Amino acid sequence: MSNILKALVLASLLSSAGLALAGEKDVTLYKNPQCGCCEGYADYLRDNGFAVTVKPTHDLSGMSREAGIPEEAEGCHLSFIDGYVVSGHVPVGTVNKLLTERPDIKGVTLPGMPMGSPGMSGTKEAPFEILEIPKSGGVGGIYAKE
Amino acid sequence: MSRFLKPTLTRRGFLASAAAGAAGVMLPLYQQSPANAAAMREVRLRAAPGRVRLVPEPFGETAIWGYNGAVPGPEIRIRQGERLRVVVENGLAEETTVHWHGVRVPNAMDGVPHLTQPPIGAGERFVYEFDAVDAGTFWYHPHQRGFEQVGRGLYGPLIVEEPEPIRVDRDVTWVLGDWRLKKSGEVSEDFGNRHDIHHNGRVGNTVTINGRVPDSFAVKKGERIRLRLINAANARIFSLDFAGHEPVVIALDGQPVTPHAPDGGRVVLGPAMRADLVIDMTGEPGSRSSIMDRFYEGLEFPFVDFVYADASLRERAPDWPMALPANPLPEPDLENASRNEVLFNGGMMGEMIAAEMGAKMGPGAAGGRMGGMHSMMEMMNSSSAWFINGVAADETSHVMKPMLTLARVRSHVIAMTNATAWHHPMHLHGHSFRVISRNGQPTRHREWQDTVLISPREKVEIAFVADNPGNWMFHCHVLEHQAGGMMGVIRVA
Repeated sequence: MSNILKALVLASLLSSAGLALAGEKDVTLYKNPQCGCCEGYADYLRDNGFAVTVKPTHDLSGMSREAGIPEEAEGCHLSFIDGYVVSGHVPVGTVNKLLTERPDIKGVTLPGMPMGSPGMSGTKEAPFEILEIPKSGGVGGIYAKE
Repeated sequence: MSRFLKPTLTRRGFLASAAAGAAGVMLPLYQQSPANAAAMREVRLRAAPGRVRLVPEPFGETAIWGYNGAVPGPEIRIRQGERLRVVVENGLAEETTVHWHGVRVPNAMDGVPHLTQPPIGAGERFVYEFDAVDAGTFWYHPHQRGFEQVGRGLYGPLIVEEPEPIRVDRDVTWVLGDWRLKKSGEVSEDFGNRHDIHHNGRVGNTVTINGRVPDSFAVKKGERIRLRLINAANARIFSLDFAGHEPVVIALDGQPVTPHAPDGGRVVLGPAMRADLVIDMTGEPGSRSSIMDRFYEGLEFPFVDFVYADASLRERAPDWPMALPANPLPEPDLENASRNEVLFNGGMMGEMIAAEMGAKMGPGAAGGRMGGMHSMMEMMNSSSAWFINGVAADETSHVMKPMLTLARVRSHVIAMTNATAWHHPMHLHGHSFRVISRNGQPTRHREWQDTVLISPREKVEIAFVADNPGNWMFHCHVLEHQAGGMMGVIRVA
């Protein structure tokens, strides 16, 4: 992405996320040590003003289960952002919506690694459906579509 | 049978060897046969649940599945040219088999369920019998639901000694295990989960040497050790850094290789692979050095410490020869070899890599098939994770049509393209092959292997003489990849 385009995207996203305060923007992202796309997603979050610490781990499936995310809805990495769990390549609009609305849920997940999602190459084929992870675990309804 | 059989072990002997195994000591299960007797060795292996101490206090013992109550199972040690008879008893609640990894056995003894034998049912037994044609470091493990049976501890070393072994002070076997343990110290039950299948397999959180979390390994200055490494992990790849020591690789996958220092000083071992090293202990008396595993970036860890005794064995490393005598392997004739393209697809980020590589290679080039829209769509819509030439094997259906048929006693090249984002240790049964090139560059040692580790986007060519008739498995030895479809059958006829 060209720098100009990046700046434009950054500006538009920042304006829509104007309510996010400092301190809410610290992210710990756990990823498979050999997965390159998760680094792409970490950079995407950084470009959008988050402070991201990347931690490689071999325990992702176990951590996802512990976070209440069922196997079939698991994203390929796990981020912890201001008390919420964000699984997979969730676009920043939804992350900011979560941090702004602060719903009484555990977090959200975008299962798998859809082409064209943040950090992934390829072309987006359909809107991404980001699912709710309720406090009780499992999958709730669709939290956001982007 | 006219051959003299060694008496089988008594129950007491069984228990003693199991206990010894659990303590990390390897005992041969038989005695030396008289030199003039027809050399036949008999071993009994009972696969069953048990409990062993993998991790130190304050953790308790861990429930495992093991051979003869131990992890790893007993070290079977025989001489080249001897015949081995193994009575396998199945004390599990499910079917099993035993595969003699790397040993060039007759097809019926290869231990692949539904392909070379009916599976051994719970409570049943099966007798394997074969000649040890090659000397070297091999191992045994089930080929039935391996991702769980191996992952719970069913594996053991099989060492075939040369008639005249090279001179060393100690000949040591390290079976490397990898466990995903819960905080309680029990094995995590999430075998075959989706994440593991689609990424790099079940990489655990606890590494063992001979069934124990290692702490230290006692050595003496000047000592020469032959270290036989066997990677019995489901999925973990090791890259061992011997902390200032200079290991010399003398065999890979049991087969002798020109003695050489490993690239970058690191010994890289994918699942199922073996390396025989000669290591001269060059540290100072009373010192300690940490062998590191450095394969996964950001997750490097101290693997085990060499702890030097206060007394030296000798001041200088010995100058004894290291080269091993060759095994009786037929040399492939590359001029007249058939050429067979094999393409791997699938896994996380697989579409992306395939698209990239497809664009790079173009139609008609090696792997041009990946541009075929039909097979691409088929793959994307499939619930399987991994594909060899567009086909995912279904382990449960037992339908295994050969993906290749190779003319017997002829030479063959298999050119593999890894169009995935992940490493694959590809294992061919019944044969050893020369690894002749990587990404178009000839390999320096043209090493014989039975399992070749292929990096993401890498192309590897292997060559061999198909001298062992039958239907042979060809599969990824990341056992979750195998379960996710990454296997096929190569027929030699």
